[in-house]
Amino acid sequence: MADLKEARVPDIGSENVPVIEVLVKPGDKVAKEQGLVTLESDKATMEVPAPFAGTVKELKLKVGDEVSEGTLIAIIEADGEAAAPAPKQAAAPAKAEAPAKAAPAPAPAPAAAAPAPAAAPAGGGGVQEVKVPDIGSEDVPVIEILVKVGDTITKDQSLITLESDKATMEVPAPFAGVVKEIKVKIGDELSEGSVIALVEAAGGAAAPAPAPAPAPAAAKVAAPTVEEKPEPVGGRSVLPGNAPEGDVAPTARPPFDAGIVMPGDAPYASPAIRAFARELGVDVRQVKGTGRSGRIQREDITGYVKHALASGARPTGAPVAAGGGLNLLPWPKVDFSKFGEIEEKPLSRIQKISGANLARNWAMIPHVTQHEDADITELEAFRKKLGEENKDLKITPLVFQIKAVVAALKKFPQFNSSLDVSGEKLTLKKYFHIGIAVDTPDGLVVPVIRDCDKKGLLDLATELGEISKKARDKKLGPNDMSGGCFSISSLGGIGGTSFTPIVNAPEVAILGVSKAAMKPVWNGKEFAPRLILPLSLSYDHRVIDGALAARFATYLAQQLGDIRRLLL
Amino acid sequence: MASTIEIKVPDIGGHDNVPVIEVLVKVGDTVAKEQSLITLESDKATMEIPSSAAGVIKELKVKVGDEVSEGALIAVLEAAEGSTSPSPQRGEGRGEGSASPQSPAGNVPASTRPSPQPSPQGGEGAKAPQAAGASGRTPDIECKLVVLGSGPGGYTAAFRAADLDVDTVLVERYASLGGVCLNVGCIPSKALLHAAAVIDEAEAMAAHGVTFGAPKLDLDKLRDFKTKVVGKLTGGLASMAKQRKVRTVQGVGTFVSPNEMEVQTAEGTKLLRFEHAIIAAGSQAVRLPAFPWDDERIIDSTGALELKDVPKKLLVVGGGIIGLEMATVYSALGSEVTVVEFMDQLIPGADADLIKPLAQRLAKKLKGVHLKTKVVEAKAGKKGIEVSYEGESIPETTVFDRVLVAVGRSPNGNKIGADKAGVAVTDRGFINVDTQMRTNVPHIYAIGDLVGQPMLAHKATHEARVAAEVVAGMKSYFDARVIPSVAFTDPEIAWVGVTEREAKEKGLKIGVGKFPWAASGRAIGIDRTEGFTKLIFDEETHRIVGAGIVGPHAGDLISELCLAIEMGAEAADIGLTVHPHPTLGESVGMAAEVYEGTITDLYIPKKKK
Repeated sequence: MADLKEARVPDIGSENVPVIEVLVKPGDKVAKEQGLVTLESDKATMEVPAPFAGTVKELKLKVGDEVSEGTLIAIIEADGEAAAPAPKQAAAPAKAEAPAKAAPAPAPAPAAAAPAPAAAPAGGGGVQEVKVPDIGSEDVPVIEILVKVGDTITKDQSLITLESDKATMEVPAPFAGVVKEIKVKIGDELSEGSVIALVEAAGGAAAPAPAPAPAPAAAKVAAPTVEEKPEPVGGRSVLPGNAPEGDVAPTARPPFDAGIVMPGDAPYASPAIRAFARELGVDVRQVKGTGRSGRIQREDITGYVKHALASGARPTGAPVAAGGGLNLLPWPKVDFSKFGEIEEKPLSRIQKISGANLARNWAMIPHVTQHEDADITELEAFRKKLGEENKDLKITPLVFQIKAVVAALKKFPQFNSSLDVSGEKLTLKKYFHIGIAVDTPDGLVVPVIRDCDKKGLLDLATELGEISKKARDKKLGPNDMSGGCFSISSLGGIGGTSFTPIVNAPEVAILGVSKAAMKPVWNGKEFAPRLILPLSLSYDHRVIDGALAARFATYLAQQLGDIRRLLL
Repeated sequence: MASTIEIKVPDIGGHDNVPVIEVLVKVGDTVAKEQSLITLESDKATMEIPSSAAGVIKELKVKVGDEVSEGALIAVLEAAEGSTSPSPQRGEGRGEGSASPQSPAGNVPASTRPSPQPSPQGGEGAKAPQAAGASGRTPDIECKLVVLGSGPGGYTAAFRAADLDVDTVLVERYASLGGVCLNVGCIPSKALLHAAAVIDEAEAMAAHGVTFGAPKLDLDKLRDFKTKVVGKLTGGLASMAKQRKVRTVQGVGTFVSPNEMEVQTAEGTKLLRFEHAIIAAGSQAVRLPAFPWDDERIIDSTGALELKDVPKKLLVVGGGIIGLEMATVYSALGSEVTVVEFMDQLIPGADADLIKPLAQRLAKKLKGVHLKTKVVEAKAGKKGIEVSYEGESIPETTVFDRVLVAVGRSPNGNKIGADKAGVAVTDRGFINVDTQMRTNVPHIYAIGDLVGQPMLAHKATHEARVAAEVVAGMKSYFDARVIPSVAFTDPEIAWVGVTEREAKEKGLKIGVGKFPWAASGRAIGIDRTEGFTKLIFDEETHRIVGAGIVGPHAGDLISELCLAIEMGAEAADIGLTVHPHPTLGESVGMAAEVYEGTITDLYIPKKKK
């Protein structure tokens, strides 16, 4: 009679679709066709119905899991044959709001394989209700359920998590026992006295005082983790990158007259299309309509955005960086002065400009960083010697790195290139100008040393000294900072073991250099102390694939390891 | 010995107009040669400009924010004989502005961040006042959003915001929500106009063989009906506010700082701290000073809607929508009504042809309608209000039992302490906003009557949604192109978009399709053939840009045309849409056919070519 069956995901037309909601829990009776979980594909949300009626014995999925056809959802004890009975309580409320709410609730997932199912209903304590203690506010939503039916819980073990405006708090069990029934589900709003679960108190044996009074005092309500909830003010994750100012900068509202009605002045788009354009941050006036008589249609707006994205330009040219139509949450807005003394300080102009560039590069270039170690024991010895011979010159490791990079660029010309705006054409450069990131009190600048392939180590050392000084003295001109092919950012003088430099567009790669350190290296017979320089090569994955990057990095390390190779 | 030297900007790499971001010296400083004087910041870099000579600064010619090019004069120096002199007053040269003695408007107070200052519309500018500092008191109420005023704009904003999970407080000075519109405006007036319409229609049927006899008025009952209508709606609002967990605070709210408002409640003053505010404080009837307002026989629209009695003789000052609606009510109830209007047309704003059928009917129903005439004096006498006029058409009657003054409404922008919040208000009391309903203070929004004409509830509600959604982080903008206007007179007049008058004034190339209701079976059936439907099209694209309708239910018929304009419908779109027969709405399709030249329900002789 009690026939355990598996409920699996049917053909849903796509793979790896995330679960955004679990609509039932173990112990629930489900009717045939009752929704078990909600999936959200790119295109739609869908509920997966139960293939038969029965009682849910075990859930195999949690929110956030990705499923494909055939994935096991749950084990259900099928009903004899009788048509489904009805106590479907969990059923399917809150479908509509699911997508919005699903995002937070990181899903409890209390170890899929639960221990001790159906603990013997014997015991001594008797089934008691566990209620919400005084929590200081009403109608607080449940965001997480930390136990499930059948779990053995200890006193003070957290049962559920509530989230009020101000804090999340876990409600602890007032006594130990076995969870018999859970009376709440995620999204329910609870107040003091609401029943959370029925727990059979662990009697007899180890039972430490069944504590009948379910009132462990407000204090027990686990330390509210006060966290500042970020904007937007509405708890909704509304559409795109809505800083309240949107993308198209708001303008003074024009008066209601012919100026905004006559076809010559008014873009040929209906209200819904105008709103759609606003949402995407598109100035509808810039869009060419392809409908009858030039009517601007929805596809024209999306087409415009696609084109704008492909060409690397922002859809509107508005100054606020928003990652070219990326679906970003608004920036959190916090009134910091509420929490203590603050001081506001504008960024320097260089910081602002480099910030905007860095943000664009980080958002638009698919970055990968390849790490490599170079053995520079010999190089350092040579460098020191060279330094002694040329006391008037400061010969830094960077000079050698420039030389090694040039050699690597010659070997792998793909690294000495730029992708055009359409992302379809690569420009390969036959010259070797290397940018050097220099930290100045006002911010980051990248002066460029030209034709590094034609200059000797001493020339480079001289030039590097000059240009660094110029940078720190704020005397760099625009010419000093343009034309770079590849950049080097060296933090070796400061420290660190590795980092992720951001590619300096339109270059396609950048080398980060951390601090060299003496390390034991196995030479085949023994550990020998070697000076190891960590290299971090970030590259634009659209142009360079991983294998090539690994080869480049390895080659670079070889060059630094034995600089005689630079002569080859 | 002390020669003066001019220090100029050297070649800075071919850049022009590079801004000065820091001035490193001040008058009286002794500077060494090569000592930096100012810092410039180009797109690419900052650079310090060194002094070309040693000496004492006599005069500084630049300040922070100036833009300089090669050759610009930086300072005048009194040259030192020696060479070097110590450099005082200059640490590492990158002070935070304290080193720049002339630092002007650079530092904006944190409380009022700069914003895209909404530029004035309608030619009226407003200067942003200096906001008051925070009170420092502990607030009694804290919220994310406060909405000041609960009219159609205010409650819509509050409800929409609450629905978007914004913690919202609604401040309303009166006990019942709904503002002027629900309590003493649109809604009660429509209840009374309904009574007037029934009276008039019943009377008109006598000519067609159905006589009801003279109406018997139970004024208390009629007033009750009106009160109940209002009560239903305002009660509904109160319960919806509760359902949405919008907290309502009754009292007069005034800003005390950019993030605080004081509310004078029955229990005393409460301090409310908010993160965002939406000002929806509306407007009030203009009270012309020529009238003795302390006499209760002088009333405004609110007084007229109280329906205390049916005055024998009523003077309506102002021939706009409100004045004529009340004239219609009181005339139907039995008052002898005289209307005086200062302009040369009733309901200025609508096209003259739309007014004609109304004017003709009013001429029959009312004692008199007098254009280009104004009241110069009104005295409270024993027998009534004694009025003297001036103008082209002097009414016979000079003594009235009541005088309704309905000459317009003025916005309440100056009554809410907006200046304390830093919100700019124009001299006339309007608050300028941008397309997201934001005032000059970025976290304070304004909607409804006090952001400008037209002062209509349906404009306010749409603005309200925009403001609430923007507060909630959505990318909403007020993008509507047209706001329809309706006069609920008898016949009704409704218009939207471009009028013929505006087209003529601006030289717009438009064409008109006009369908007279005399050719509408339905209009003939209700014996109201004086109406017509007029559509206005752009000549080049044949897209509809405006419409006007006069006749019963014109206000209901105009909606289709609002949609048509927003959608950019062409004449053929409207003409080829099947309208149901026999309706007054059919006249819309037929007016489009008239414009297209495809009409068959009229005969229009072909133009000779």
